[in-house]
Amino acid sequence: MKISKKIIANLKEGGVDFYLSVPCKLLANMIDILEKDKDVYYSAVPREEEGMGICAGAYLGNKFPCIMMQNTGIGNSVNAIVSLLQLYQMPVVFLISYRGTPGEPVGAQGGMAKITEDILQTLRIPMLHCSSENDLEKISTFSKHAKVVESPVAILCDFNLMKDDK
Amino acid sequence: MNRFDLLNKIQKILKENLVICNIGLPSQELYKINDQPNFFYMLGSMGLSSSIGLGLSLSQNKNVISIDGDGSVLMNMNTLATIGNRAPSNYTLLIIDNGSYGSTGDQRTFTDENTSLKDVAIGAGCNNVVECSGDETVNELSKAIEDQNNSFVIISKINSGNVKIDPIPLNPITIRDRFRKFIGIVKYL
Repeated sequence: MKISKKIIANLKEGGVDFYLSVPCKLLANMIDILEKDKDVYYSAVPREEEGMGICAGAYLGNKFPCIMMQNTGIGNSVNAIVSLLQLYQMPVVFLISYRGTPGEPVGAQGGMAKITEDILQTLRIPMLHCSSENDLEKISTFSKHAKVVESPVAILCDFNLMKDDK
Repeated sequence: MNRFDLLNKIQKILKENLVICNIGLPSQELYKINDQPNFFYMLGSMGLSSSIGLGLSLSQNKNVISIDGDGSVLMNMNTLATIGNRAPSNYTLLIIDNGSYGSTGDQRTFTDENTSLKDVAIGAGCNNVVECSGDETVNELSKAIEDQNNSFVIISKINSGNVKIDPIPLNPITIRDRFRKFIGIVKYL
């Protein structure tokens, strides 16, 4: 729980007060924490693209939203990111469990892992890559940066960082 | 009655509420009829009007009307389940169902064949699902807005057909900022 607690504490410190998730086993602890947290909004959503829309609405209503998902969810959301979040310059934090990185047992996750950062780069989305516990300290400043530049930003959490967070 | 006629008929209700309007002709027609700062026009991301309105209704207290179309709802049907489980009482989804992809040349949608969005919405868990004619829509929408305790999904069955119209000249940041100013968030305009 230590890693997950740190991530959520840093997101909250960065001002994030509205959370959605499409589940991943690496996000399970964070989902547990958020479900019990009375200070912020949390809900599951069936699909990431829809989550981008809900985040856009939450931003219009003065929340600072975050959607938690696997990196596969970026693939499901490209048009919503470009033609909604970026078109209207809406700050949203993507908290991404980076499936298919070393430690991953499921071979099929490797495909999206190979192109995830290329997609984010093509979309000109600022990235914070977290591979060790020390990297987590950067999350609050990085989240605030999304508001300053009025843009979605992506936090990538490696498989090995998350897998033993019991 | 087509979409343009219906949007004209419900103008008075729309003017008094936050409106998220579907991409393409619905937004262009709404803009032409009577542009308002509390209208958020979608310039992209087909399918997400219902979802944007849901996020907005969850994050502030004013009434929200998402104007969506049958083609767009068919594209993002999973969000009906989110609405069915999470929509607060200040949320109304108005699906203008003309059985047609109006903005792309009036190709038929599946609601013109076997699909009932009313049945889908009920199955997804939505409260107060109403299917009505264009003429009945004014009354049903008024009831939905006045009800402080329930969210609504209204499916307004109308004819296809469009009016000749220009693209919206507003840029996206203008649409964003004047909308947020209306809510009271943006102070600098």
